[in-house]
Amino acid sequence: MTGNSVGLEVRSLTKVFGRGDGVRAVSDLSFRVEPGRVTGFLGPNGSGKTTTLRCLLGLVTPTSGQTLVGDQPYRELHDPLHVVGAALEASGFHPGRTAVGHLGVVAASAGIARSRIFEVLELVGLADAGHRKVGGYSLGMRQRLSLATALLGDPSVLILDEPANGLDPEGIAWLRNFLRSLAAEGRTVLISSHVLSEVQLTVDDVVIIRKGELVSYGSLQALSTGMNAHVIVRSPDSGRLGEALRSVPAASMTTQENGAFLVTGISAAEIGEIAFSHNIMLHELHTQEHDLEAVFLELTSSEGGAA
Amino acid sequence: MNALRAEFRKIITTKIVFWLTAFSLAFTALTVLLSVYLVPTSARVVNSSMLLQVPEYVNSIVAACGNASIFVIIIGIIGMTSEYRHMTITATFLASPRRSPVVLAKAVAYAIVGALVGVLNFCLSLSLTYITLAGKEHAPIEMSQALHTLIGVIIGFALGAIVGVSVGALIRNQVAAVIAALVFLLLVQPLLNAFVEWTTAWLPGGALDSVMNLTYRQGQLSSGLLPSWGGGLVLLGYAAVLGAIASFTTLKRDIT
Ligand SMILES: Nc1ncnc2c1ncn2[C@@H]1O[C@H](COP(=O)(O)OP(=O)(O)O)[C@@H](O)[C@H]1O
Ligand SMILES: [Mg+2]
Repeated sequence: MTGNSVGLEVRSLTKVFGRGDGVRAVSDLSFRVEPGRVTGFLGPNGSGKTTTLRCLLGLVTPTSGQTLVGDQPYRELHDPLHVVGAALEASGFHPGRTAVGHLGVVAASAGIARSRIFEVLELVGLADAGHRKVGGYSLGMRQRLSLATALLGDPSVLILDEPANGLDPEGIAWLRNFLRSLAAEGRTVLISSHVLSEVQLTVDDVVIIRKGELVSYGSLQALSTGMNAHVIVRSPDSGRLGEALRSVPAASMTTQENGAFLVTGISAAEIGEIAFSHNIMLHELHTQEHDLEAVFLELTSSEGGAA
Repeated sequence: MNALRAEFRKIITTKIVFWLTAFSLAFTALTVLLSVYLVPTSARVVNSSMLLQVPEYVNSIVAACGNASIFVIIIGIIGMTSEYRHMTITATFLASPRRSPVVLAKAVAYAIVGALVGVLNFCLSLSLTYITLAGKEHAPIEMSQALHTLIGVIIGFALGAIVGVSVGALIRNQVAAVIAALVFLLLVQPLLNAFVEWTTAWLPGGALDSVMNLTYRQGQLSSGLLPSWGGGLVLLGYAAVLGAIASFTTLKRDIT
Protein backbone atom coordinates (compact mmCIF):
# COMPACT_ATOMS: atom_id res chain seq x y z
CA MET A 1 0.00 0.00 0.00
CA THR A 2 1.25 3.46 -0.85
CA GLY A 3 0.72 4.65 2.72
CA ASN A 4 -1.52 7.64 2.22
CA SER A 5 -5.20 6.96 2.17
CA VAL A 6 -7.17 7.47 -1.00
CA GLY A 7 -10.92 7.90 -1.21
CA LEU A 8 -13.24 7.65 -4.18
CA GLU A 9 -15.69 10.18 -5.43
CA VAL A 10 -18.52 10.04 -7.94
CA ARG A 11 -19.82 13.47 -8.93
CA SER A 12 -23.10 13.90 -10.79
CA LEU A 13 -22.31 10.86 -12.87
CA THR A 14 -24.61 10.14 -15.78
CA LYS A 15 -24.11 7.41 -18.33
CA VAL A 16 -26.36 6.84 -21.29
CA PHE A 17 -25.43 3.90 -23.48
CA GLY A 18 -26.10 4.27 -27.17
CA ARG A 19 -27.05 7.37 -29.06
CA GLY A 20 -29.99 9.65 -28.42
CA ASP A 21 -32.54 7.94 -26.18
CA GLY A 22 -30.24 5.12 -25.26
CA VAL A 23 -30.18 3.14 -22.04
CA ARG A 24 -29.86 5.51 -19.09
CA ALA A 25 -27.73 3.27 -16.90
CA VAL A 26 -26.63 5.87 -14.35
CA SER A 27 -28.39 9.12 -13.63
CA ASP A 28 -26.88 12.10 -11.80
CA LEU A 29 -25.27 9.89 -9.18
CA SER A 30 -23.04 11.37 -6.48
CA PHE A 31 -21.37 9.76 -3.48
CA ARG A 32 -18.04 9.45 -1.73
CA VAL A 33 -16.24 6.38 -0.50
CA GLU A 34 -14.11 6.90 2.59
CA PRO A 35 -10.79 5.26 3.43
CA GLY A 36 -10.64 2.80 6.28
CA ARG A 37 -14.20 1.65 5.74
CA VAL A 38 -15.96 -0.98 3.72
CA THR A 39 -18.64 0.56 1.58
CA GLY A 40 -21.41 -1.53 0.07
CA PHE A 41 -22.69 -0.42 -3.30
CA LEU A 42 -26.13 -1.93 -3.52
CA GLY A 43 -28.92 -2.15 -6.00
CA PRO A 44 -30.90 -4.75 -7.93
CA ASN A 45 -29.59 -6.25 -11.14
CA GLY A 46 -29.41 -3.71 -13.90
CA SER A 47 -29.44 -0.73 -11.53
CA GLY A 48 -26.11 0.58 -12.83
CA LYS A 49 -23.56 -0.69 -10.32
CA THR A 50 -21.15 -2.23 -12.79
CA THR A 51 -21.45 0.78 -15.08
CA THR A 52 -20.60 3.14 -12.21
CA LEU A 53 -17.59 1.06 -11.20
CA ARG A 54 -16.37 0.89 -14.79
CA CYS A 55 -16.66 4.68 -15.00
CA LEU A 56 -14.60 4.97 -11.82
CA LEU A 57 -11.95 2.80 -13.46
CA GLY A 58 -11.75 4.70 -16.72
CA LEU A 59 -13.20 1.81 -18.72
CA VAL A 60 -16.47 3.56 -19.52
CA THR A 61 -16.59 7.22 -20.49
CA PRO A 62 -19.31 9.12 -18.60
CA THR A 63 -21.94 10.97 -20.58
CA SER A 64 -21.56 13.70 -17.98
CA GLY A 65 -20.14 14.08 -14.51
CA GLN A 66 -16.87 12.94 -13.06
CA THR A 67 -15.31 10.12 -11.12
CA LEU A 68 -12.21 10.61 -9.01
CA VAL A 69 -9.67 8.37 -7.35
CA GLY A 70 -8.14 10.54 -4.64
CA ASP A 71 -8.20 13.82 -6.50
CA GLN A 72 -7.72 12.70 -10.07
CA PRO A 73 -9.50 10.64 -12.72
CA TYR A 74 -8.34 7.02 -12.98
CA ARG A 75 -6.97 7.58 -16.48
CA GLU A 76 -4.52 10.11 -15.11
CA LEU A 77 -3.13 7.91 -12.35
CA HIS A 78 0.57 7.46 -12.78
CA ASP A 79 0.81 3.91 -11.51
CA PRO A 80 -2.81 2.75 -11.34
CA LEU A 81 -2.40 -0.82 -10.11
CA HIS A 82 -0.52 0.37 -7.04
CA VAL A 83 -3.36 2.74 -6.19
CA VAL A 84 -6.48 0.80 -7.15
CA GLY A 85 -7.05 -2.93 -7.33
CA ALA A 86 -10.22 -3.90 -9.14
CA ALA A 87 -12.10 -7.13 -9.67
CA LEU A 88 -14.92 -6.62 -12.12
CA GLU A 89 -17.77 -8.85 -13.05
CA ALA A 90 -17.10 -10.42 -16.43
CA SER A 91 -13.56 -9.20 -16.52
CA GLY A 92 -12.01 -11.99 -18.38
CA PHE A 93 -9.31 -14.52 -18.22
CA HIS A 94 -7.85 -16.25 -21.22
CA PRO A 95 -9.05 -19.82 -20.66
CA GLY A 96 -5.72 -21.20 -21.84
CA ARG A 97 -3.69 -19.30 -19.26
CA THR A 98 -2.90 -20.59 -15.82
CA ALA A 99 -3.54 -18.40 -12.80
CA VAL A 100 0.21 -17.87 -12.53
CA GLY A 101 0.33 -16.97 -16.22
CA HIS A 102 -2.53 -14.51 -15.88
CA LEU A 103 -1.07 -12.86 -12.81
CA GLY A 104 2.32 -12.81 -14.54
CA VAL A 105 0.89 -10.72 -17.36
CA VAL A 106 -0.69 -8.25 -14.95
CA ALA A 107 2.44 -8.14 -12.79
CA ALA A 108 4.58 -7.42 -15.84
CA SER A 109 2.28 -4.62 -16.93
CA ALA A 110 2.77 -2.82 -13.62
CA GLY A 111 6.37 -3.77 -12.91
CA ILE A 112 5.39 -5.94 -9.94
CA ALA A 113 7.86 -8.58 -8.73
CA ARG A 114 6.94 -12.15 -9.67
CA SER A 115 7.24 -13.28 -6.06
CA ARG A 116 4.09 -11.27 -5.36
CA ILE A 117 2.13 -13.63 -7.64
CA PHE A 118 2.57 -16.49 -5.24
CA GLU A 119 1.85 -14.26 -2.24
CA VAL A 120 -1.56 -13.24 -3.58
CA LEU A 121 -2.41 -16.79 -4.67
CA GLU A 122 -1.65 -17.86 -1.12
CA LEU A 123 -3.77 -15.00 0.26
CA VAL A 124 -6.88 -16.02 -1.67
CA GLY A 125 -6.38 -19.73 -1.16
CA LEU A 126 -5.48 -20.64 -4.74
CA ALA A 127 -1.88 -21.66 -4.12
CA ASP A 128 -2.52 -25.26 -5.11
CA ALA A 129 -4.40 -24.40 -8.30
CA GLY A 130 -1.96 -21.77 -9.54
CA HIS A 131 -0.61 -23.89 -12.36
CA ARG A 132 -3.97 -25.08 -13.63
CA LYS A 133 -5.63 -23.50 -16.62
CA VAL A 134 -8.24 -20.92 -15.74
CA GLY A 135 -10.59 -22.50 -18.30
CA GLY A 136 -11.17 -25.31 -15.82
CA TYR A 137 -11.85 -23.08 -12.84
CA SER A 138 -15.16 -22.94 -11.00
CA LEU A 139 -16.95 -19.62 -10.59
CA GLY A 140 -15.73 -19.39 -7.01
CA MET A 141 -12.13 -19.98 -8.09
CA ARG A 142 -12.45 -17.27 -10.74
CA GLN A 143 -13.72 -14.89 -8.08
CA ARG A 144 -10.69 -15.68 -5.98
CA LEU A 145 -8.39 -15.18 -8.93
CA SER A 146 -10.06 -11.82 -9.65
CA LEU A 147 -9.44 -10.85 -6.06
CA ALA A 148 -5.82 -12.01 -6.32
CA THR A 149 -5.42 -9.87 -9.43
CA ALA A 150 -6.82 -6.87 -7.59
CA LEU A 151 -4.41 -7.40 -4.71
CA LEU A 152 -1.28 -7.75 -6.86
CA GLY A 153 -0.21 -4.12 -6.63
CA ASP A 154 -0.92 -3.90 -2.88
CA PRO A 155 -3.32 -1.04 -3.63
CA SER A 156 -4.81 1.54 -1.25
CA VAL A 157 -8.22 1.13 -2.84
CA LEU A 158 -10.10 -2.07 -3.64
CA ILE A 159 -13.08 -2.04 -5.96
CA LEU A 160 -14.89 -5.37 -6.14
CA ASP A 161 -17.93 -5.99 -8.30
CA GLU A 162 -20.20 -8.67 -6.82
CA PRO A 163 -17.28 -10.44 -5.14
CA ALA A 164 -19.54 -12.81 -3.23
CA ASN A 165 -21.12 -14.24 -6.40
CA GLY A 166 -20.24 -17.88 -6.74
CA LEU A 167 -18.69 -18.16 -3.30
CA ASP A 168 -20.04 -20.72 -0.87
CA PRO A 169 -21.10 -19.53 2.63
CA GLU A 170 -17.67 -20.43 3.93
CA GLY A 171 -16.07 -18.37 1.18
CA ILE A 172 -18.35 -15.44 1.95
CA ALA A 173 -17.39 -15.57 5.61
CA TRP A 174 -13.73 -15.69 4.64
CA LEU A 175 -14.18 -12.75 2.27
CA ARG A 176 -15.89 -10.77 5.02
CA ASN A 177 -12.99 -11.15 7.43
CA PHE A 178 -10.50 -10.50 4.70
CA LEU A 179 -12.15 -7.26 3.57
CA ARG A 180 -12.61 -6.10 7.16
CA SER A 181 -8.92 -6.61 7.80
CA LEU A 182 -8.02 -4.67 4.66
CA ALA A 183 -10.21 -1.75 5.75
CA ALA A 184 -8.70 -1.93 9.23
CA GLU A 185 -5.32 -1.30 7.59
CA GLY A 186 -6.72 2.00 6.35
CA ARG A 187 -7.61 0.89 2.84
CA THR A 188 -10.67 1.97 0.97
CA VAL A 189 -12.94 -0.92 0.08
CA LEU A 190 -15.92 -0.63 -2.24
CA ILE A 191 -17.95 -3.76 -2.95
CA SER A 192 -21.11 -4.06 -4.97
CA SER A 193 -23.89 -6.53 -4.46
CA HIS A 194 -27.50 -7.03 -5.42
CA VAL A 195 -28.23 -8.81 -2.15
CA LEU A 196 -27.89 -6.78 1.01
CA SER A 197 -27.75 -9.81 3.29
CA GLU A 198 -24.63 -10.98 1.48
CA VAL A 199 -22.65 -7.94 2.58
CA GLN A 200 -24.67 -6.74 5.57
CA LEU A 201 -22.10 -8.01 8.05
CA THR A 202 -19.19 -6.71 6.00
CA VAL A 203 -19.98 -3.10 5.24
CA ASP A 204 -19.78 0.08 7.31
CA ASP A 205 -21.42 2.34 4.77
CA VAL A 206 -23.97 1.78 2.07
CA VAL A 207 -24.76 3.46 -1.20
CA ILE A 208 -28.05 2.17 -2.55
CA ILE A 209 -29.15 2.85 -6.10
CA ARG A 210 -32.20 2.01 -8.15
CA LYS A 211 -32.45 2.52 -11.89
CA GLY A 212 -29.20 4.45 -11.82
CA GLU A 213 -30.36 6.90 -9.18
CA LEU A 214 -29.27 7.27 -5.58
CA VAL A 215 -31.92 6.20 -3.08
CA SER A 216 -29.93 5.96 0.13
CA TYR A 217 -26.45 6.86 1.18
CA GLY A 218 -24.85 6.76 4.60
CA SER A 219 -23.72 4.42 7.33
CA LEU A 220 -25.41 1.06 7.62
CA GLN A 221 -26.36 1.99 11.15
CA ALA A 222 -28.14 5.13 10.00
CA LEU A 223 -30.03 3.04 7.49
CA SER A 224 -31.29 0.65 10.14
CA THR A 225 -32.18 3.31 12.74
CA GLY A 226 -33.71 5.58 10.17
CA MET A 227 -36.50 3.16 9.55
CA ASN A 228 -39.63 2.82 11.70
CA ALA A 229 -39.37 0.14 14.34
CA HIS A 230 -42.03 -2.56 14.46
CA VAL A 231 -43.41 -3.66 17.76
CA ILE A 232 -45.21 -6.97 18.07
CA VAL A 233 -47.84 -7.12 20.76
CA ARG A 234 -50.28 -9.94 21.55
CA SER A 235 -53.02 -10.14 24.07
CA PRO A 236 -55.76 -12.74 24.82
CA ASP A 237 -58.08 -9.74 24.78
CA SER A 238 -57.13 -8.47 21.37
CA GLY A 239 -60.37 -6.63 20.80
CA ARG A 240 -59.83 -4.24 23.68
CA LEU A 241 -56.12 -3.92 22.94
CA GLY A 242 -56.88 -2.97 19.36
CA GLU A 243 -59.36 -0.38 20.50
CA ALA A 244 -56.87 1.11 22.93
CA LEU A 245 -54.12 1.29 20.35
CA ARG A 246 -56.34 2.78 17.69
CA SER A 247 -57.02 5.69 20.00
CA VAL A 248 -53.31 6.65 19.88
CA PRO A 249 -52.92 8.95 16.87
CA ALA A 250 -49.18 8.25 16.32
CA ALA A 251 -49.64 4.51 16.13
CA SER A 252 -50.49 2.56 13.05
CA MET A 253 -50.98 -1.16 13.12
CA THR A 254 -51.78 -4.30 11.24
CA THR A 255 -53.16 -7.52 12.56
CA GLN A 256 -51.14 -10.70 12.12
CA GLU A 257 -52.46 -14.21 11.62
CA ASN A 258 -52.03 -15.27 15.23
CA GLY A 259 -54.00 -12.26 16.44
CA ALA A 260 -50.95 -10.22 17.35
CA PHE A 261 -50.63 -6.62 16.26
CA LEU A 262 -47.67 -5.22 14.37
CA VAL A 263 -47.42 -1.64 15.53
CA THR A 264 -45.33 1.19 14.20
CA GLY A 265 -45.04 4.77 15.39
CA ILE A 266 -44.85 4.11 19.12
CA SER A 267 -42.36 2.20 21.23
CA ALA A 268 -42.83 -1.06 23.12
CA ALA A 269 -42.66 0.87 26.41
CA GLU A 270 -45.51 3.12 25.37
CA ILE A 271 -47.60 0.16 24.31
CA GLY A 272 -46.91 -1.53 27.65
CA GLU A 273 -48.03 1.60 29.45
CA ILE A 274 -51.25 1.80 27.45
CA ALA A 275 -52.05 -1.84 28.15
CA PHE A 276 -51.29 -1.39 31.83
CA SER A 277 -53.51 1.67 32.12
CA HIS A 278 -56.37 -0.18 30.38
CA ASN A 279 -55.80 -3.22 32.50
CA ILE A 280 -55.19 -5.44 29.49
CA MET A 281 -53.11 -8.58 29.93
CA LEU A 282 -50.29 -9.06 27.41
CA HIS A 283 -48.83 -12.38 26.32
CA GLU A 284 -46.20 -10.94 24.09
CA LEU A 285 -44.51 -7.57 23.66
CA HIS A 286 -41.27 -7.03 21.79
CA THR A 287 -39.55 -4.82 19.29
CA GLN A 288 -38.91 -6.62 16.05
CA GLU A 289 -35.32 -6.86 14.82
CA HIS A 290 -34.71 -4.53 11.92
CA ASP A 291 -35.04 -6.47 8.76
CA LEU A 292 -32.54 -4.64 6.59
CA GLU A 293 -33.29 -6.85 3.65
CA ALA A 294 -36.91 -5.69 3.79
CA VAL A 295 -35.78 -2.07 3.88
CA PHE A 296 -33.51 -2.71 0.97
CA LEU A 297 -36.25 -4.37 -1.03
CA GLU A 298 -38.61 -1.53 -0.23
CA LEU A 299 -36.04 1.08 -1.23
CA THR A 300 -35.20 -0.61 -4.47
CA SER A 301 -38.55 -1.97 -5.55
CA SER A 302 -39.86 -0.36 -8.67
CA GLU A 303 -42.81 1.47 -7.08
CA GLY A 304 -41.58 2.73 -3.81
CA GLY A 305 -38.80 4.10 -1.84
CA ALA A 306 -37.17 6.96 -3.69
CA ALA A 307 -35.56 9.10 -0.99
CA MET B 1 8.48 -0.80 -21.26
CA ASN B 2 6.22 -2.59 -18.78
CA ALA B 3 3.50 -2.67 -21.41
CA LEU B 4 5.89 -4.32 -23.87
CA ARG B 5 6.99 -6.88 -21.30
CA ALA B 6 3.33 -7.63 -20.57
CA GLU B 7 2.70 -8.22 -24.28
CA PHE B 8 5.48 -10.81 -24.45
CA ARG B 9 4.08 -12.50 -21.33
CA LYS B 10 0.68 -12.66 -23.01
CA ILE B 11 2.24 -14.27 -26.07
CA ILE B 12 4.23 -16.93 -24.25
CA THR B 13 1.39 -17.87 -21.88
CA THR B 14 -0.94 -18.93 -24.69
CA LYS B 15 -0.47 -21.35 -27.56
CA ILE B 16 -1.97 -19.49 -30.49
CA VAL B 17 1.25 -17.88 -31.74
CA PHE B 18 2.99 -21.22 -31.53
CA TRP B 19 0.32 -22.95 -33.60
CA LEU B 20 0.03 -20.24 -36.22
CA THR B 21 3.81 -20.27 -36.57
CA ALA B 22 3.66 -24.02 -37.04
CA PHE B 23 0.99 -23.58 -39.72
CA SER B 24 3.08 -20.94 -41.45
CA LEU B 25 6.03 -23.34 -41.57
CA ALA B 26 3.87 -26.11 -42.98
CA PHE B 27 2.61 -23.67 -45.59
CA THR B 28 6.15 -22.65 -46.52
CA ALA B 29 7.23 -26.28 -46.79
CA LEU B 30 4.28 -26.99 -49.08
CA THR B 31 5.07 -23.97 -51.25
CA VAL B 32 8.70 -24.99 -51.66
CA LEU B 33 7.77 -28.58 -52.50
CA LEU B 34 5.19 -27.47 -55.04
CA SER B 35 7.65 -25.01 -56.62
CA VAL B 36 10.23 -27.74 -57.05
CA TYR B 37 8.12 -30.74 -57.97
CA LEU B 38 5.17 -29.12 -59.69
CA VAL B 39 6.88 -26.53 -61.79
CA PRO B 40 4.10 -24.18 -62.91
CA THR B 41 3.01 -24.66 -66.47
CA SER B 42 1.53 -21.25 -66.82
CA ALA B 43 5.00 -19.75 -66.57
CA ARG B 44 6.22 -17.69 -69.44
CA VAL B 45 9.16 -19.97 -69.84
CA VAL B 46 8.11 -22.31 -72.58
CA ASN B 47 9.70 -25.53 -71.44
CA SER B 48 8.73 -26.00 -67.84
CA SER B 49 11.47 -28.48 -67.02
CA MET B 50 13.93 -25.74 -67.93
CA LEU B 51 12.50 -23.47 -65.26
CA LEU B 52 14.75 -24.86 -62.55
CA GLN B 53 17.66 -23.58 -64.59
CA VAL B 54 16.39 -20.01 -64.50
CA PRO B 55 18.27 -18.25 -61.66
CA GLU B 56 15.29 -16.00 -60.82
CA TYR B 57 13.06 -19.03 -60.47
CA VAL B 58 15.44 -20.79 -58.10
CA ASN B 59 15.76 -17.62 -56.06
CA SER B 60 12.01 -17.38 -55.95
CA ILE B 61 11.78 -20.85 -54.42
CA VAL B 62 13.91 -19.66 -51.52
CA ALA B 63 11.76 -16.56 -51.35
CA ALA B 64 8.62 -18.72 -51.24
CA CYS B 65 8.65 -18.34 -47.47
CA GLY B 66 7.38 -14.82 -48.09
CA ASN B 67 3.97 -16.24 -48.96
CA ALA B 68 3.60 -17.23 -45.32
CA SER B 69 3.40 -13.57 -44.40
CA ILE B 70 -0.38 -13.91 -44.37
CA PHE B 71 0.05 -15.91 -41.16
CA VAL B 72 1.75 -13.07 -39.31
CA ILE B 73 -1.05 -10.74 -40.36
CA ILE B 74 -3.46 -13.21 -38.77
CA ILE B 75 -1.20 -13.51 -35.71
CA GLY B 76 -1.34 -9.73 -35.30
CA ILE B 77 -5.11 -9.62 -35.70
CA ILE B 78 -5.66 -12.41 -33.19
CA GLY B 79 -3.16 -10.90 -30.76
CA MET B 80 -5.21 -7.72 -30.64
CA THR B 81 -8.74 -9.11 -30.87
CA SER B 82 -8.32 -11.94 -28.37
CA GLU B 83 -8.14 -9.23 -25.70
CA TYR B 84 -11.71 -8.33 -26.53
CA ARG B 85 -12.81 -11.87 -27.11
CA HIS B 86 -11.75 -13.01 -23.66
CA MET B 87 -12.27 -9.59 -22.08
CA THR B 88 -8.69 -9.49 -20.89
CA ILE B 89 -8.77 -5.98 -22.31
CA THR B 90 -10.28 -4.94 -18.96
CA ALA B 91 -7.14 -5.96 -17.09
CA THR B 92 -4.98 -4.49 -19.84
CA PHE B 93 -6.64 -1.08 -19.72
CA LEU B 94 -6.74 -1.10 -15.92
CA ALA B 95 -2.97 -1.41 -15.94
CA SER B 96 -2.50 1.06 -18.81
CA PRO B 97 -5.49 3.42 -18.87
CA ARG B 98 -4.09 5.33 -21.83
CA ARG B 99 -5.14 3.13 -24.68
CA SER B 100 -3.18 4.12 -27.75
CA PRO B 101 0.19 3.31 -26.12
CA VAL B 102 -1.17 -0.17 -25.43
CA VAL B 103 -1.76 -0.73 -29.14
CA LEU B 104 1.65 0.70 -29.90
CA ALA B 105 3.30 -1.69 -27.43
CA LYS B 106 1.40 -4.55 -29.01
CA ALA B 107 2.52 -3.47 -32.48
CA VAL B 108 6.15 -3.45 -31.37
CA ALA B 109 5.83 -6.84 -29.65
CA TYR B 110 4.15 -8.40 -32.67
CA ALA B 111 6.66 -6.83 -35.05
CA ILE B 112 9.37 -8.69 -33.16
CA VAL B 113 7.31 -11.89 -33.19
CA GLY B 114 6.68 -11.39 -36.90
CA ALA B 115 10.37 -10.95 -37.63
CA LEU B 116 11.16 -14.16 -35.75
CA VAL B 117 8.47 -16.07 -37.61
CA GLY B 118 9.98 -14.68 -40.82
CA VAL B 119 13.45 -15.90 -39.90
CA LEU B 120 12.09 -19.38 -39.13
CA ASN B 121 10.22 -19.54 -42.41
CA PHE B 122 13.27 -18.35 -44.31
CA CYS B 123 15.52 -20.95 -42.70
CA LEU B 124 13.00 -23.64 -43.55
CA SER B 125 12.57 -22.62 -47.16
CA LEU B 126 16.32 -22.21 -47.73
CA SER B 127 17.20 -25.59 -46.28
CA LEU B 128 14.28 -27.30 -48.00
CA THR B 129 15.30 -25.77 -51.33
CA TYR B 130 18.80 -27.14 -50.87
CA ILE B 131 17.54 -30.58 -49.98
CA THR B 132 14.97 -30.87 -52.75
CA LEU B 133 17.17 -29.48 -55.49
CA ALA B 134 20.05 -31.78 -54.63
CA GLY B 135 20.66 -34.18 -57.49
CA LYS B 136 18.62 -32.08 -59.90
CA GLU B 137 19.94 -29.91 -62.63
CA HIS B 138 19.36 -26.39 -61.44
CA ALA B 139 20.63 -22.86 -61.44
CA PRO B 140 22.77 -22.14 -58.36
CA ILE B 141 21.18 -20.83 -55.20
CA GLU B 142 22.69 -17.38 -54.91
CA MET B 143 23.59 -16.59 -51.34
CA SER B 144 23.61 -12.86 -51.92
CA GLN B 145 20.04 -13.10 -53.21
CA ALA B 146 19.07 -15.32 -50.31
CA LEU B 147 20.45 -12.78 -47.87
CA HIS B 148 18.43 -10.13 -49.63
CA THR B 149 15.36 -12.28 -49.24
CA LEU B 150 16.11 -12.82 -45.54
CA ILE B 151 16.29 -9.09 -44.86
CA GLY B 152 13.13 -8.55 -46.88
CA VAL B 153 11.31 -11.31 -45.03
CA ILE B 154 12.33 -9.97 -41.62
CA ILE B 155 11.06 -6.51 -42.45
CA GLY B 156 8.05 -7.71 -44.39
CA PHE B 157 6.85 -10.10 -41.68
CA ALA B 158 7.38 -7.47 -39.00
CA LEU B 159 5.32 -4.98 -41.01
CA GLY B 160 2.67 -7.60 -41.75
CA ALA B 161 2.24 -8.27 -38.04
CA ILE B 162 1.94 -4.53 -37.36
CA VAL B 163 -0.74 -4.22 -40.03
CA GLY B 164 -2.52 -7.17 -38.40
CA VAL B 165 -2.50 -5.47 -34.99
CA SER B 166 -3.90 -2.29 -36.51
CA VAL B 167 -6.69 -4.23 -38.23
CA GLY B 168 -7.51 -5.86 -34.89
CA ALA B 169 -7.51 -2.48 -33.16
CA LEU B 170 -10.09 -1.26 -35.65
CA ILE B 171 -12.27 -4.37 -35.80
CA ARG B 172 -12.69 -5.69 -32.26
CA ASN B 173 -14.66 -8.78 -33.21
CA GLN B 174 -12.10 -11.53 -33.77
CA VAL B 175 -14.03 -13.60 -36.25
CA ALA B 176 -15.09 -10.54 -38.20
CA ALA B 177 -11.55 -9.17 -38.30
CA VAL B 178 -9.98 -12.44 -39.45
CA ILE B 179 -12.65 -13.01 -42.08
CA ALA B 180 -12.41 -9.44 -43.31
CA ALA B 181 -8.65 -9.78 -43.66
CA LEU B 182 -8.87 -13.13 -45.45
CA VAL B 183 -11.61 -11.99 -47.81
CA PHE B 184 -9.61 -8.91 -48.64
CA LEU B 185 -6.29 -10.66 -49.12
CA LEU B 186 -7.55 -13.73 -50.95
CA LEU B 187 -10.48 -12.32 -52.91
CA VAL B 188 -10.76 -8.56 -53.17
CA GLN B 189 -7.08 -7.86 -53.64
CA PRO B 190 -6.44 -10.39 -56.43
CA LEU B 191 -9.55 -9.21 -58.28
CA LEU B 192 -8.53 -5.59 -58.00
CA ASN B 193 -5.02 -6.45 -59.11
CA ALA B 194 -6.35 -8.36 -62.10
CA PHE B 195 -8.71 -5.67 -63.31
CA VAL B 196 -6.94 -2.50 -62.25
CA GLU B 197 -3.31 -3.33 -62.68
CA TRP B 198 -1.75 -0.30 -61.03
CA THR B 199 -3.36 -1.21 -57.70
CA THR B 200 -0.97 -4.16 -57.37
CA ALA B 201 1.88 -1.96 -56.19
CA TRP B 202 -0.22 -0.09 -53.67
CA LEU B 203 -2.29 -2.78 -52.01
CA PRO B 204 -0.79 -4.61 -49.00
CA GLY B 205 -0.03 -7.80 -50.93
CA GLY B 206 2.01 -6.07 -53.59
CA ALA B 207 3.66 -3.83 -51.02
CA LEU B 208 4.66 -6.91 -49.04
CA ASP B 209 5.97 -8.54 -52.21
CA SER B 210 8.12 -5.57 -53.00
CA VAL B 211 9.53 -5.48 -49.47
CA MET B 212 10.37 -9.16 -49.74
CA ASN B 213 11.45 -9.12 -53.38
CA LEU B 214 8.99 -11.79 -54.37
CA THR B 215 9.46 -11.58 -58.10
CA TYR B 216 7.92 -14.88 -59.13
CA ARG B 217 4.45 -15.17 -57.73
CA GLN B 218 2.39 -18.15 -58.80
CA GLY B 219 4.85 -18.69 -61.61
CA GLN B 220 4.32 -15.20 -62.98
CA LEU B 221 7.01 -12.62 -63.02
CA SER B 222 5.27 -9.82 -61.26
CA SER B 223 6.10 -6.38 -62.43
CA GLY B 224 5.23 -2.82 -61.63
CA LEU B 225 5.97 -3.17 -57.94
CA LEU B 226 7.31 -0.33 -55.83
CA PRO B 227 10.93 -0.38 -54.69
CA SER B 228 11.36 -2.28 -51.42
CA TRP B 229 11.54 0.83 -49.27
CA GLY B 230 8.46 2.18 -51.00
CA GLY B 231 6.53 -1.01 -50.23
CA GLY B 232 7.64 -0.76 -46.61
CA LEU B 233 6.39 2.79 -46.35
CA VAL B 234 3.06 1.82 -47.92
CA LEU B 235 2.62 -0.91 -45.29
CA LEU B 236 3.55 1.41 -42.46
CA GLY B 237 1.10 3.87 -43.93
CA TYR B 238 -1.70 1.31 -43.85
CA ALA B 239 -0.90 0.47 -40.22
CA ALA B 240 -0.72 4.15 -39.26
CA VAL B 241 -4.00 5.03 -40.95
CA LEU B 242 -5.85 2.01 -39.52
CA GLY B 243 -4.34 2.68 -36.09
CA ALA B 244 -5.25 6.36 -36.21
CA ILE B 245 -8.84 5.60 -37.20
CA ALA B 246 -9.00 3.01 -34.42
CA SER B 247 -7.72 5.48 -31.84
CA PHE B 248 -10.57 7.84 -32.65
CA THR B 249 -13.25 5.18 -32.92
CA THR B 250 -12.95 1.61 -31.68
CA LEU B 251 -10.37 2.33 -29.00
CA LYS B 252 -12.53 5.05 -27.48
CA ARG B 253 -15.44 2.71 -26.99
CA ASP B 254 -16.62 1.65 -23.57
CA ILE B 255 -15.26 -1.57 -22.18
CA THR B 256 -18.31 -3.36 -20.79
N1 LIG C 1 -22.57 -1.77 -23.09
C1 LIG C 1 -23.86 -1.53 -22.81
N2 LIG C 1 -24.70 -1.15 -23.80
C2 LIG C 1 -25.99 -0.90 -23.54
N3 LIG C 1 -26.55 -1.01 -22.33
C3 LIG C 1 -25.78 -1.40 -21.31
C4 LIG C 1 -24.40 -1.68 -21.49
N4 LIG C 1 -23.87 -2.04 -20.29
C5 LIG C 1 -24.89 -1.99 -19.40
N5 LIG C 1 -26.04 -1.60 -20.00
C6 LIG C 1 -27.34 -1.40 -19.35
O1 LIG C 1 -27.19 -0.49 -18.30
C7 LIG C 1 -27.99 -0.86 -17.20
C8 LIG C 1 -27.14 -1.00 -15.97
O2 LIG C 1 -26.35 -2.15 -16.09
P1 LIG C 1 -25.24 -2.54 -15.03
O3 LIG C 1 -24.39 -1.35 -14.74
O4 LIG C 1 -24.54 -3.74 -15.52
O5 LIG C 1 -26.12 -2.88 -13.75
P2 LIG C 1 -25.74 -3.77 -12.48
O6 LIG C 1 -24.27 -3.97 -12.44
O7 LIG C 1 -26.26 -2.97 -11.33
O8 LIG C 1 -26.48 -5.06 -12.62
C9 LIG C 1 -28.72 -2.11 -17.62
O9 LIG C 1 -29.98 -1.75 -18.08
C10 LIG C 1 -27.89 -2.66 -18.72
O10 LIG C 1 -28.67 -3.38 -19.62
MG1 LIG D 1 -23.27 -5.75 -12.36
